[in-house]
Amino acid sequence: MSKHDFRGGVLIENPYPLNQLSVVEVPPPKKAIYLLKQREGASAKPKVKVGQKVKVGQVIAVSNNDYCVPMHSSISGVVSAIDDQPIAHSSGLKVPSISIESDGKDDWISLKGCGEEVDKCTPDEIIEKIRNAGIVGMGGAGFPAHVKIKGAQGAKTIIINATECDPATLCDDALMRKYPEEIIKGIEVLMYACQSQKAIIAVEEDKVDAIIKLNQTIKNKNICVEAVPIKYSTGAEKLLIKLLLDKVIPTGSFASSSGVLCQNIATVKAIYDAVVIGKPLVSRIVTVNGSALKNPSNYEVRIGSSFSDIVKKSKPSANPHEIRVGGMMMGVDVPDKNYSICKITSSIIVDEIKIKQKESACIRCSKCNEVCPINLLPQQLFWFCKSDNTKKASSYDLQDCIECGCCSYVCPSHIPLVEYFQYGKALVKKELREQELAAKSRERYEFKEFRLDRIKQERDKMMAEKKAALKAKMAKEKDNKAKIAEALKRVNDKKK
Amino acid sequence: MITGKPILNTSNLMLQVIYGLILGVALQFYFFGWGVIYQITLALITGIAAEIIFLKIRKKSIDVIKDNSAALTAILLAISIPSIAPWWIVVLGTSFAIIFGKQLYGGLGSNPLNPAMLGYAFLLISFPLEMTRWTSSFLSFGEGLNVIFSSINIDALSSATRLEEAKFALMEGEVFNPIQIDQTVWINLGFLFGGVYLFYKKVITWQIPLSFLAGIIVMSALLMLVDSDHAMGPVFHLFHGATMLGAFFILTDPVSSSTTPRGRLIFGFLIGILVIIIRTYGSYPDGVAFAVLLLNIAVPLIDYYSKPKVFGR
Repeated sequence: MSKHDFRGGVLIENPYPLNQLSVVEVPPPKKAIYLLKQREGASAKPKVKVGQKVKVGQVIAVSNNDYCVPMHSSISGVVSAIDDQPIAHSSGLKVPSISIESDGKDDWISLKGCGEEVDKCTPDEIIEKIRNAGIVGMGGAGFPAHVKIKGAQGAKTIIINATECDPATLCDDALMRKYPEEIIKGIEVLMYACQSQKAIIAVEEDKVDAIIKLNQTIKNKNICVEAVPIKYSTGAEKLLIKLLLDKVIPTGSFASSSGVLCQNIATVKAIYDAVVIGKPLVSRIVTVNGSALKNPSNYEVRIGSSFSDIVKKSKPSANPHEIRVGGMMMGVDVPDKNYSICKITSSIIVDEIKIKQKESACIRCSKCNEVCPINLLPQQLFWFCKSDNTKKASSYDLQDCIECGCCSYVCPSHIPLVEYFQYGKALVKKELREQELAAKSRERYEFKEFRLDRIKQERDKMMAEKKAALKAKMAKEKDNKAKIAEALKRVNDKKK
Repeated sequence: MITGKPILNTSNLMLQVIYGLILGVALQFYFFGWGVIYQITLALITGIAAEIIFLKIRKKSIDVIKDNSAALTAILLAISIPSIAPWWIVVLGTSFAIIFGKQLYGGLGSNPLNPAMLGYAFLLISFPLEMTRWTSSFLSFGEGLNVIFSSINIDALSSATRLEEAKFALMEGEVFNPIQIDQTVWINLGFLFGGVYLFYKKVITWQIPLSFLAGIIVMSALLMLVDSDHAMGPVFHLFHGATMLGAFFILTDPVSSSTTPRGRLIFGFLIGILVIIIRTYGSYPDGVAFAVLLLNIAVPLIDYYSKPKVFGR
């Protein structure tokens, strides 16, 4: 049990305990849709054409951008469409996608991994393998794993984040109970790739089975399991580091600069698959949970499967539902089930429609500050964000908000504080962009002025020179004429 | 760390504060009789009516009334004024508190000043005579009605409060026993008990009450040392006047008090000091209302300079 702690946080019991703990393996779907933009920034470019036959594990989209990992087909079949599809977000934003119809064969490409003896490969080769397998942080952020590992070369400690964090999400728990050996081997691969000496697996203390299984599997004395309190927002990287190592990672810098690498446990399992077996990331465990389900469960599904297919297996009620993706605390509400599983989809929560508590006035009770793990003043930020006062909001460190939602959770006035903060952050971003644009156009304008001025000066100079030359010429001509006249006069005089 | 959801909503929070007042009010009733109940009833009717009317004028949903904040303001004002004050005192004061103290600023959450204390200060300045006539005897159901609703001569009933008595005694150089358990001490103990209940229910935090009481103790002890002719000592001040009511129910109004943990310490402590200064040297017997209003004005400044240290900065 960790001796340290971080401030704030809330203790939230899982409102929907699962009645079955084992992982249900879902057969490959008939159709899969792959979203090519997995996080902010670049999106991968399709490498296949409509009508082309693909196998499981075949690369279907790539990008030159290091922050954008390749996408692999998770089923064998034929590419049926390359178009834009909505991402699982309330905005309904559409991104490029590839759809594949299954041929029902589940035909894999030939896999070639390093095998159990990883040290035959160099760390660089391993990192390359991780990139080529399309691995991203599977806890929800979706940050490319190889970039993080590359940045953490020589990190003393590796923290494996298995805290789940979200009360209603249990996919990490399921993963630990199903794949303890793969996880431990994956950690060893990671330690080798980073040349680290120590790895800590952080597991919530109530996941007793998982802790026992991992402890039974660990043979390496440099890997240990640490039970952490079931406090919500422990899963946030910087808070977990504070909890385990009592280190505060300063705002604006990464954990790697303090010699720590933090990876999600599902990412570690994916790293094992990629490096040891040579299998790209084509499946993950998703928790399907919620009050509208008769049989909530953990499912191991292929990436690209549709939400509705998986939700159906949990026997939802016939009533209309509220659907939330990515956890009850930090997830987002989506209008329906017509989305496909991404690499970062950790959970789908399907609830009966609840009567929403009405938002009432903020009474500044500061319960929000009490639970804020970052020690912000949400009650003040709320006012600033509400009145579009970005300057003030920034001076109260709005950018440090990790959007964990503890404040919204405890607010007696039911104010969706995090939504206000997201709005405020977006506004700050927009203003920065506008400022940049304004600066750029001013620069352009000033350069144009400068250029026009220079042209004018050059022209003036040229004109002046020409004038001077002309004058000189005229003076010379005058001079010559005078000389001629003088000579003529002299001649005439002589004649006389 | 907060476990689960201790307080469901804002109206529940206000209701808890009202529950916390019950023992102190019961003791007031035990000592002073039915006047207390009439004042509270009048205040509640006026407060809720004023709130509804102004919500209508402002074209807001009158559902807001369910947040119980108007009721709380009304009760706090009613138990702060003398139980034998004529009916129009409490009606005027409560309307002023709700309309000028809260609604005109934009309703709950937007008022910079404590509405109940604003109402109280308004009454004390405008009607000093009616506001300083207290009783020390139990008024029966009928007596109460008579005193409050008809303009009978109430001089026979009224008496000075212990604070005034003490001040007078010290001025005259008389012997004054500060440690005497009288009605006010019991009522203060009642509110102290209610305050502990609020703390237990996590409605209030410890910072404001403790720093306020600390301010009272420090300042009154200091005055004892330097000016023993006027000072009444910490023990007396802790259990007389509106000390406990102020500490747990008035200063802790979240809207108008400081909102940062450190700011709350400053806020409470400074009010404690001001209360003792006003009680000792001011011309009004108690100073909680004025001290609270003065520090309410200073809250934005206090909050600005007491921002907590942000994780990672």
